[in-house]
Amino acid sequence: MNLLANKEKRSFIIQLILAAILFSAAYLIVQNIRDNLADVGIRLSFGFLSGEAGFDVNESLISYSASDSYARVLLVGFLNTLELSFVCILGSTIIGVVMGIVRAGSNWLGTRLALAYVEVLRNLPKLLILLAVFIVMINRLPTVRHAWNFFNGIFISNRAFYYPKLIWHDGMVFVLAGILVWFIAAVLWGRYVKRIQDLTGKQLPTKWPVLGVLFLTVLLISVLFHVSYQFSLPVFKGFDFTGGSRLSVQFVALAFTLSIYHGGQITELVRGGIQSVQKGQIEAAASLGLKPSQVTRFVVLPQALRMIIPPMGNQYLNLIKNTSIALAIGYSDLVSVMSTSINQTFRPIELMSITMMTYLAISLLVTALLNWFNYRTKIVTN
Amino acid sequence: MIHTNNTTISSPPVKKLGVIRWMRINLFRNTFDSIVTISVVLFLLWIVPAVFSWMFFDAVGFNGDEALCRTTDGACWPFMREKARLILFGTYPYEQQWRAALACLVVIGLVATLIFKRMKVKWMILLWAASAAVFVALMLGNVFGLPVVQTVKWNGLPVFLLLSVFSLAAAFPLGILLALARHQDDYQLLKNLAAGYIELIRGIPLLMVLFMGLFVLPMVMPRGFFLEPLFAILIALMLFHAAYFAEDIRGGLQTLELGQAEAADSLGLSYWPKVLLIVLPQALKQSLPAIFNTLIGGYKDTSLVIIVGIHDIISTAKMAYSDPGWQRYGLEAYFFVGIWYFCSCWCLSAYGRHLEKERAK
Repeated sequence: MNLLANKEKRSFIIQLILAAILFSAAYLIVQNIRDNLADVGIRLSFGFLSGEAGFDVNESLISYSASDSYARVLLVGFLNTLELSFVCILGSTIIGVVMGIVRAGSNWLGTRLALAYVEVLRNLPKLLILLAVFIVMINRLPTVRHAWNFFNGIFISNRAFYYPKLIWHDGMVFVLAGILVWFIAAVLWGRYVKRIQDLTGKQLPTKWPVLGVLFLTVLLISVLFHVSYQFSLPVFKGFDFTGGSRLSVQFVALAFTLSIYHGGQITELVRGGIQSVQKGQIEAAASLGLKPSQVTRFVVLPQALRMIIPPMGNQYLNLIKNTSIALAIGYSDLVSVMSTSINQTFRPIELMSITMMTYLAISLLVTALLNWFNYRTKIVTN
Repeated sequence: MIHTNNTTISSPPVKKLGVIRWMRINLFRNTFDSIVTISVVLFLLWIVPAVFSWMFFDAVGFNGDEALCRTTDGACWPFMREKARLILFGTYPYEQQWRAALACLVVIGLVATLIFKRMKVKWMILLWAASAAVFVALMLGNVFGLPVVQTVKWNGLPVFLLLSVFSLAAAFPLGILLALARHQDDYQLLKNLAAGYIELIRGIPLLMVLFMGLFVLPMVMPRGFFLEPLFAILIALMLFHAAYFAEDIRGGLQTLELGQAEAADSLGLSYWPKVLLIVLPQALKQSLPAIFNTLIGGYKDTSLVIIVGIHDIISTAKMAYSDPGWQRYGLEAYFFVGIWYFCSCWCLSAYGRHLEKERAK
């Protein structure tokens, strides 16, 4: 009685009981898993990862064949997830920002179309959109034999999209190094320009000199090291195209669907951010004599971004997780290869823990980046 | 001097805009607007005729002859006439499908009752339990002389409603508990456990949680205990949504002034009366928009269950067009399912907006 009357002691006792319950539950679960696995004759182990996977993937960034190991096929899936996420983040951001600006703008037609876009996508599941897009692509795009041809190097068919590939030349190492040096120099120049402006108010040119130097750097190095830029063009031979690069129709359908789906949500974020900037700010900037483009760039955007970036980070996290719907149309992403591997090896616990850890690591990384960015754009007050 | 009777108040002059002037202001105000207008017009000129000719002009009507479908590029609506019932109820025994329809009506009626009628939480819980019992009794049978229908034959709309509505409903109280556990300082172990669980679930895709439900959950069960895949998925969905609800509600709890809880403490209320009477009602009101976001998102994401082999309406739509002879009409099937999703999601978000308006009063 006395023990329970004291808050700290009560808290301690209750937590002790809780810990005991949890411990026994965990013990029971482990015991059950062991029993159930013993019934099928399996023991937990990660040894199977070096075994031969024996199944093919429809797209891979690194060389892979069916005789490679499970570890490698998981890596292939992971890289595919990253590639897809990257393309979708880029696409949805571009769509979302453009549509958001239109939605918050003054164009009568534009605001209405953007509203319709947001509403339609908000009320439909992404999986349904994906399946509909995929089936339209499969049914309405031409077969490989009759692929549509654009600019004599881009082919579109219902199997894949083909495009020219730059052939690697050893001199390109120097070009890349030159671009890196240029980038560092440009950042330094930007800082210098800002300092001069802060000290004297004089604005030094940034855009044209920086771009001009880039052009000259690339040109000079190319001439010096005899770098040749040659493209391998896709050519139809027999039953398929050879040469060039390709994106499977699954990838294109996924990238399109997730870009427009999350683009719709980013549209609303951008609109909210822009409309949260007080009208007085814009009027004050205009009365100081700033041009409309300068008002947007120096007054509206910096304030809107502070509102937009935190929820945007959440969007990106959701997007990365949503790439897992790739399984529905058979694109080999991480979850998809995991699922196939589970069906072949019946090692759900090992494979799922690997996949879960991967997703958690990505989540943590994006969250850390986001916090860093928030810290950078925080309002500095004294 | 004050004028009293010989002045009339005239209304401000009505601004009359000519068509050209209106277009100048609303469509071509600056370069950006002009570009937007031109692109929108071009887009509409492309999409509107394409959609209309697919849906109406080139389409074969609902009562038309399905043989005509092969000769046109437009939609084939006879497909819907033939397959609507398959999409709705899937492989549920044909002569028993009235039971599936009735079960759907029970769930829809339940949701409608909760939307249109205010009632005490006690009655709500009772209504939920009764509806769930009636639903299972109707679908499974074996009572009132109804023949048994195994869960593997449950398809289409009833499965979708079961998984979406009941998983979200069960997740909500669980979410409240998780949020309360995370939003307190007396029990650190409990707090860390809740936080760990929420962050773990929110860090992985729903699909992974569904796979866990399908593969790992049965393994956790004692030897010889068989868990139906449908119910394993139901539990997985519930555990998933609970984490998201918890974060929404915690957001509401954090906006609450500390004084509210302190006032309740000083009135001598113990924990549960304080939480149920003072803290939660205010916190839930605050987190209403976030909760509705999760609700609609969760409702839509229920469709992911088709990937792990549960047959909801998207899956039965697939079944409908994988039938030989109908394979070209996948888009029609998805269009039909899309209408269902669009209408139901639209109703949900309209209800959410209505609640928010009421809150603001």
